[in-house]
Amino acid sequence: MSSFPKVAVAGVGVTRQARRLEGQDTLQACLEAARLALDDAGMTFDDVDGIAGRWPGPGGTVFHPGSLDWGSMLGLPLRWISDTYPQGIPAALEAAAAIEAGLCSSVLVLGGQAGELGEGAVAPYTRPDNEFVATWGAFTAAQFALVAHRYLHTYGVAWERVSRVAVTIRNHGHANSEAVMFGRGPYAIDDVMSAPRIAEPFGRLDLCLANEGAAAMVITSESRARDTGRPVVRIVGGGCEWHRQQYVQPARYEDVGMIGQDAARRAYEASGLTHDDLDVLQLYDVNSFEVVRQLEVLGFCGQGEGADFLDDVDISLGGTLPVNTDGGLMSHSHIGWGAPTLRIVEAVRQLRGEAGTRQVPGARTAMAGGAGSGAQYYNLLLLQRG
Amino acid sequence: MRPLPQPSELTRPFWDGAVAHRLLHPRCDACGGAFFPPHAVCPACRAAAWSWQESAGRGTVHSSTVVHRAPQEGFATPYVLAVVDLDEGFELMTNVVGAGALDVTTGRRVRVAWQQVGDSVLPVFEADPEQEDASA
Ligand SMILES: [Zn+2]
Repeated sequence: MSSFPKVAVAGVGVTRQARRLEGQDTLQACLEAARLALDDAGMTFDDVDGIAGRWPGPGGTVFHPGSLDWGSMLGLPLRWISDTYPQGIPAALEAAAAIEAGLCSSVLVLGGQAGELGEGAVAPYTRPDNEFVATWGAFTAAQFALVAHRYLHTYGVAWERVSRVAVTIRNHGHANSEAVMFGRGPYAIDDVMSAPRIAEPFGRLDLCLANEGAAAMVITSESRARDTGRPVVRIVGGGCEWHRQQYVQPARYEDVGMIGQDAARRAYEASGLTHDDLDVLQLYDVNSFEVVRQLEVLGFCGQGEGADFLDDVDISLGGTLPVNTDGGLMSHSHIGWGAPTLRIVEAVRQLRGEAGTRQVPGARTAMAGGAGSGAQYYNLLLLQRG
Repeated sequence: MRPLPQPSELTRPFWDGAVAHRLLHPRCDACGGAFFPPHAVCPACRAAAWSWQESAGRGTVHSSTVVHRAPQEGFATPYVLAVVDLDEGFELMTNVVGAGALDVTTGRRVRVAWQQVGDSVLPVFEADPEQEDASA
């Protein structure tokens, strides 16, 4: 029996996800995603009394940059806002607590990016502008590589046995018409291993995208979600975990290799579920190492045993444990601060039976994850149909 | 253009030390713990009193990655990004340079070297010719 607040994801909405959304800006894209999520929930903006979203500008208030600006522009009297960093899972968990406490009734979570990314350059959020980071040519993928390298050294695992998850996830995106990388592939392990190296052990195909689009969701009470007549997807548990200052303080495998394990333990406890109950996983696949690490964190295998686990368990569509069915951040989409919500959206679609050709038959319980070891924090959400 | 450190009041002694080829780090006056980067209080015991100490500049590579694609212009690729555990008990993110740098990996003993970039001097590391690895 779940001890978690009785809340549900009442609606989800995503814009087109593309390399670049020409002629759009972040505000327009987020607004479109919000409208779609509200339509999906059978609600309107007037039903919203809580918002969690980064304000992209132009303009904005001086002292409360973020959610309040959305409320102002939309003309909504708000009862609750969260300037949660980052969006997605922590926002959903905070919204659940706020709704349970009676602080508000329905929360809109939104985020994304459009008209922001330049050609070729890495996304600005991947290279922290700090004297102890930028000076050394460090960036997020390289910091995750430092953790992955230490893992491989510690457990004596061959990179190929980890990197193969990129084949599976990218092939999911290859088959998903909504994915940025739709039609690209299919890939084999040789393609992934021979792709240009970025920061060893990572090659280009081991890493997530940086593209444009927006995503939104509506969180409300379970009873209110039932009134909409839409299939109900309940949030039955979740948790967050932070370690040290991300990126400025180097991430050490010994400290962050199992980050998320405690959050998962708490989420399982609150929901009365275990990893065995999960029918489909939407991991935060910023790189292939993180997929293997998160399988260990969630309890599917022991620490350092992720590659062995993959020998026995098929994580592809049609396998016993489908992972990142839409192609994940590697192949479907990574839209900056909106990306965590995309993982939840795919979980919701799977649980509603609305995932089309990539539907996991009978999926009843799902997990969505956010962040990772190189970032030194992790969070997860457990969701259930009905 | 490669980004160069823009020191704050808190970090300026570190970069000034580098100009004089001295590797400085905070050490807590209360618990004696070394830490990095500098903070207002010691992360181990929260004491506000700490002092800059000079390191001998010798340490062991905790982890490293060979970067083939730099995040911005001004870096010659490939280069080595590493976390080095200094013998005094603090850690630094840094670059490994010099002969055989691309082969320097976890466990390798390294020593500080000084790299002039523009008006800045950066503490980087090179393989320690006197010690192969931490267990030796
Ligand atoms: Zn202390």
